[in-house]
Amino acid sequence: MIAIAHFAAITLYLAAAALAATPLARPMNAPYRGVVGVLAAGVAVHAASLAMFARAGGHVIISGLGPSLSLAGLLLALTLVVVELIAREVSLTLVAAPLAALPTIFANIVGFTPAREPSGVQGAWLAAHIALSFIGIAAFGTAAAAGLVYLVERRQLKTRRFGALFRLFPPLATLDRVNHVAAVAGWLALTFGVVLAVSYAFEYHQMQVAQLAWGVAAWVGVSTVALGRVTRGWQARRAAILSSVSFAAVVLLYVALRVAGPVVGRFH
Amino acid sequence: MLTLVGVSHRTASLDVRDRLTFRPAEAVRALELLRDRHGVREGVMLSTCNRTEVYVVEGEADAVPAVWAQLSERLGQDASAFGYVRRDREAATHLFRVASGLDSLVLGEAQIHGQVRDAWEACRAQSSAVLNRLFQTSLLVAGRVRSETVVGHGAASVSSAAVQLAKQIFGSLRGIRAMVFGAGEMADLALECLVAEGVQASVVANRTYDRAVELAARHGGRAMTLDDAWTELAQVDLLLSSTAAPQPIVTADRVRPALARRGDRPLCVLDIAVPRDVEPAVGRLDNVFLYDLDDLQRVVSANIERRKAELPRAEALIADEVERFWQWIAGLEAVPVLTEFRARMEAVRDAEVADALRRMPDLTAEQRAAVERLARSLTNKFMHEPSVRLRAAAANGRGLGIVDAVRYLFALDQGAGRTAGAAAPEAGRGEPRTDDRG
Repeated sequence: MIAIAHFAAITLYLAAAALAATPLARPMNAPYRGVVGVLAAGVAVHAASLAMFARAGGHVIISGLGPSLSLAGLLLALTLVVVELIAREVSLTLVAAPLAALPTIFANIVGFTPAREPSGVQGAWLAAHIALSFIGIAAFGTAAAAGLVYLVERRQLKTRRFGALFRLFPPLATLDRVNHVAAVAGWLALTFGVVLAVSYAFEYHQMQVAQLAWGVAAWVGVSTVALGRVTRGWQARRAAILSSVSFAAVVLLYVALRVAGPVVGRFH
Repeated sequence: MLTLVGVSHRTASLDVRDRLTFRPAEAVRALELLRDRHGVREGVMLSTCNRTEVYVVEGEADAVPAVWAQLSERLGQDASAFGYVRRDREAATHLFRVASGLDSLVLGEAQIHGQVRDAWEACRAQSSAVLNRLFQTSLLVAGRVRSETVVGHGAASVSSAAVQLAKQIFGSLRGIRAMVFGAGEMADLALECLVAEGVQASVVANRTYDRAVELAARHGGRAMTLDDAWTELAQVDLLLSSTAAPQPIVTADRVRPALARRGDRPLCVLDIAVPRDVEPAVGRLDNVFLYDLDDLQRVVSANIERRKAELPRAEALIADEVERFWQWIAGLEAVPVLTEFRARMEAVRDAEVADALRRMPDLTAEQRAAVERLARSLTNKFMHEPSVRLRAAAANGRGLGIVDAVRYLFALDQGAGRTAGAAAPEAGRGEPRTDDRG
């Protein structure tokens, strides 16, 4: 049942992306309400399926690889809905909805086996760390998606191509603003997430080097973008390139650590 | 009958259209004359620089010759040679197309929507149920066409293309600072367009300082000579260049130092001069977005093509709304016929009952009441099904033919005459007549 609900959420995310892409096929604007509605429906189904999982097994939903990946997808999709409601702009769906579908698909493949959870203060500590880290990654993903769209739109404008892509995407200033807000939010959440992770590792003597290395790498990536923007005034193309490249590097590092799991140790 | 008589940019030259332009008060006077002298029931005149159209609901007489006479008198020659006549559905379709901008010089332009509304407002005293409904629907249709298709989307002029491109970079243009090179008419027009969108004209620079002062005073910026203006380039977001210089005056070497002081902020450069003011190398600089007249024209062409591609959807939407409007007209026609039908049947019933009772004087009061009840019941039963079906037919658009059939079968048109139906146009009898002389 949980896998079916996840499949439905994935379908809805991809349907939202397809709806957002309609201006590429026909001379019309993307149906704002339709895209946000389908995306929100996906989020609702996704959240319900995770709640079902938690209720059925009596687990905290963020323990275990499958549930964690699923939560990451859910948070990214939720962030996207919020950003689109605020910006009244749905073209980010094209990039960010498949990005949310991806971890959800992996979660479905991996399965929903919960990890053994600590309880009490230790459990709350761990839950807070994981939740903040996921929120940070979701925001970082949104910044990267905005950055990527910025680069595509900028290229259209620089090369004076006034076709479907030019009309589809929002103004550069809007994308830059989304990138800024998402990068700063991601940095704040990841900073707290990493601090909680490091202190947890010391307190409970549970050092997972690979996981810690990945977390720190993600934090360095988002920090470069956020602090560069805030303190150095980086914006526009520079910030767009930085956020998309650093997020891609973080994703690649995750894949590499997963592949090299037997060598570097357990990695969730 | 709903009738339209008019001339437009499709059938008449600018000179003819100019002479046939009516101010609102003149339009009202012309419609009053049509009402008083020619029995026109309702009228609205739409007069813009691209068209003069008179929409009327005719009385017993054909109003078309009278409208042409009025227009010809104003023109000083036979106006019918430059115009067209549309009737019934075609008149409604025409107005819906006009209000939606499908009949405009620039396909999908939005100004006509307001002009149709203003014309209707100005002639409200001369319009009634049919034209009020027609014009109200036309404005709703125009709104639907605008929101459900992209017929009205994208810039359709060079100035608005400049605005569209700038918006694609900056989002809202409110507070965006602009510097203008040149103080000619083109610069003035383009700047006016940008200022209307909230752009702040910071600097106006020109080879002749006095002309710069003039333009700067009009748009609220500072005047400078071209040589002094370069230092300000780092402070602005948009450079609009329209000088008469024979060779490029904005070079990469001039712009590069300003960019170094701007950080990552994008700079939009609009070169609307012929020959060009900005050398192409400027467009290759990081964070500079350069567009010349050819680019702006390409934006316009792309938008117009896109608008044209949407025409079938817009036309289908209009056809749908015309059908709905005509169903309403049919309903308007059915109500008085139903009323008259019932009145006629009840009169026959009352006469027959009275006659029967006269021939049976010995009946008791109870028996008389029973006879009257029987007659009433029979009449109601006989009339129930035709009444229901007539209403249904009117509602689904097949009403007018059936209404006519009922009128003919029960000789309703030979009675006291149509009462409430007087307001409705005698529409839908066979194919609508069209007499396009354009």
